[in-house]
Amino acid sequence: MQQNSEYNRRRIRMGIWFSAPAVIVLLTVLAYPILASWVLSFLRVYFAGQGLSFRFYGLTNYTELLTNQLFREALLRSIYFTLVEVIVVTFLALIVALLLNHPLGRHAFFRVVLLVPWALAPVANAVLWKWIYNANYGILNQALIGLGIIDRNIIWLGSPVLALNMILLADIWKAVPFIALLLLAGLQNIPSHLYKAARLDGANAWQQFQHVTLPGLKTTLIISIVLQSIWALKVFDLIYVLTKGSPADSTVLLNYLSWRVTFSNLDVGYGAAIANVLFVLMFILSLVYIRALRPRKTKEKVG
Amino acid sequence: MDKNRTFNRVSRRDFLKLAGAGAASLAAGNLLAACAQRASGPVKLNVLVPAAPDPAPPGVAKFSEEAFAKWKTDNNVEVVYEAPPWPQLHDKMAANLAAGQYVHDIMYNCGWGPEFAGYLVDFVKDLPKELIDDLPASSFSTVTWDGKRLGVVFTLSLLTLFYNQEHLANAGITDPPKNWDELKGMAKQLTGGGRYGWVLNYGAPEGIGGVASYWMCFLQQAGGKLYGEDGMPAFNNEAGVDALQVMVDLMESTDPGSISYVGINDATNVFSAGQATMMMNWPFMWKPANDPATSKVVGKVGSALLPAGPAGTASIDGTDAYTIAKLSPNPDKARQLIEFYLDKEVQKRQVLDTGWLPIRLSVLNDPEVQAAAPNAVVILEQAKNPYDSFVTPDYNAVTTAIGSELQKALAGSESAADAIKNASDQVTEIVKKRGS
Repeated sequence: MQQNSEYNRRRIRMGIWFSAPAVIVLLTVLAYPILASWVLSFLRVYFAGQGLSFRFYGLTNYTELLTNQLFREALLRSIYFTLVEVIVVTFLALIVALLLNHPLGRHAFFRVVLLVPWALAPVANAVLWKWIYNANYGILNQALIGLGIIDRNIIWLGSPVLALNMILLADIWKAVPFIALLLLAGLQNIPSHLYKAARLDGANAWQQFQHVTLPGLKTTLIISIVLQSIWALKVFDLIYVLTKGSPADSTVLLNYLSWRVTFSNLDVGYGAAIANVLFVLMFILSLVYIRALRPRKTKEKVG
Repeated sequence: MDKNRTFNRVSRRDFLKLAGAGAASLAAGNLLAACAQRASGPVKLNVLVPAAPDPAPPGVAKFSEEAFAKWKTDNNVEVVYEAPPWPQLHDKMAANLAAGQYVHDIMYNCGWGPEFAGYLVDFVKDLPKELIDDLPASSFSTVTWDGKRLGVVFTLSLLTLFYNQEHLANAGITDPPKNWDELKGMAKQLTGGGRYGWVLNYGAPEGIGGVASYWMCFLQQAGGKLYGEDGMPAFNNEAGVDALQVMVDLMESTDPGSISYVGINDATNVFSAGQATMMMNWPFMWKPANDPATSKVVGKVGSALLPAGPAGTASIDGTDAYTIAKLSPNPDKARQLIEFYLDKEVQKRQVLDTGWLPIRLSVLNDPEVQAAAPNAVVILEQAKNPYDSFVTPDYNAVTTAIGSELQKALAGSESAADAIKNASDQVTEIVKKRGS
């Protein structure tokens, strides 16, 4: 017994030593920037016009957030963007997954084609949509005019509401494939005998979907929703390439606002405070994600 | 039990010895490589400039290649360029300078001189007198901060009016507009049949070339200015509102896509396709607008002074300048490289081969240059009138605040008066925070 304890202690110590380099790298790459961001948010950072210097600022950056109209609007827009994207992506991805799970849709060709939008680099995706939405030369206007749906060019990125929703559309297009494949994996994990049993009990297609498919996809759906929420909150590339926050700041979301304040306006402390708000939102979502990944304990029936 | 002892043969001491040996080898290798570089070879200058077609030096843009190669050989210098797209330059500089480490010797600057003043060398006093005397004195205004001249502008780049001569002739108009009323009237007359009288990029609010900077042209034409003597905003008045109102009035004749164009190239494409008649643009546009490969309006482009407001014509300066970083280990060699960029023959090839006008007055007045760039005469004339870009250390924040309000007025969701008032209030807060 004593030798076993010594063996286990040595195993644990060796494990710590071997994992130490990786942990150090993670602390450096992740923990240090996060900690630095929190520290910066309590400072007034002087950069422009003079050398770099700092002054303790307390909670001033955060109180400025609370009273800043642009921050409030960016936060509300980010919440709207996330909610709509999650709902639409999940709905579309589920339909695509169901189609791919059908015998006719199981050919690998469809899955490869489906992955193309997701595989595009984010900036390449943004430049692609910039040309699609171009008021004079964009294919979207040409196609709609050709089909007789509109009779003159629409300035897709010219009005506040339209610009935000067109960015949303571009992000949805890119996000659907990955979530569809995630849900497809979930669908294929549902035992087929449950569907047989349901059919024997007289369930129609909709009832099978309601009582077999959805419950079986519950964990996968939660994971998809949480992941998609995190990605939607982080959106930056589309705004940077398509609108730069215009028109009139109507497409400024939290991540873009943090970048603009930090790198364009050089108000580093205030920018860090905005980034930390985003960090807290995503941290909460991450906790939900981790909880959803935990193996479910099956309750044993007694009697 | 014996098997377990065999499995755990690697001790902590052995592991630490191995790790230490590995780290020492890496450090020694790096040190040897660095020493080898320092001991021999040319002086290395790292230069940050925009990618062409934005204003770029020899080695990035295709001109004076032989002269550049000779200069490098004669001076034992290796020039390493980093040339990202123009929109990335400011962020790159901000991140590099904040890191406090040497990255670049020479950096291109565009209105950011005051912003990065604490990191730049006042090297202009060491330039040859002959060179200084050949530069417009006013060209130093945008690179001077707190009494120090921190850079040298290398291209005379003021906004002027570009117009399609054929469109005007077909409408029976003989001369381009000379004042605001003529500008609005002609733009309206020339709008129709899928074509617009005016086009510009109103999609980006901030910086030189953003919508706020265009409004500053009209502001000065109205006799206004951005700041008062006390450094506080001084544009919430008739001049500021009238300047914006002209832009609003033009909207009925403006390409509707203008509100979504974030870069000048988006607007230039529309003009070069013959779908718009007039625009404001930088001098470089002359060359691509007359290039059959990129333009449908070759030989039909005219250039003129910006139409005058109540106080006359006015423009803004593109402020394209070279600066030297304080952390540069070779500031003298860096200055010599800048002197090469400003050499008369190099400046001449700059305009003949790339379209970017020279800054040297003697080269601007060269008959060969004026023949190749007829708009040079217009630029020189425009430069006799106000062209203040009102750069300050917080130029991006100020122009973002102003530009966002201007966009609301241009979109019709706010009156010009309300937009100017809101912009003034926001800039006041920014200026107050400057000193806090």
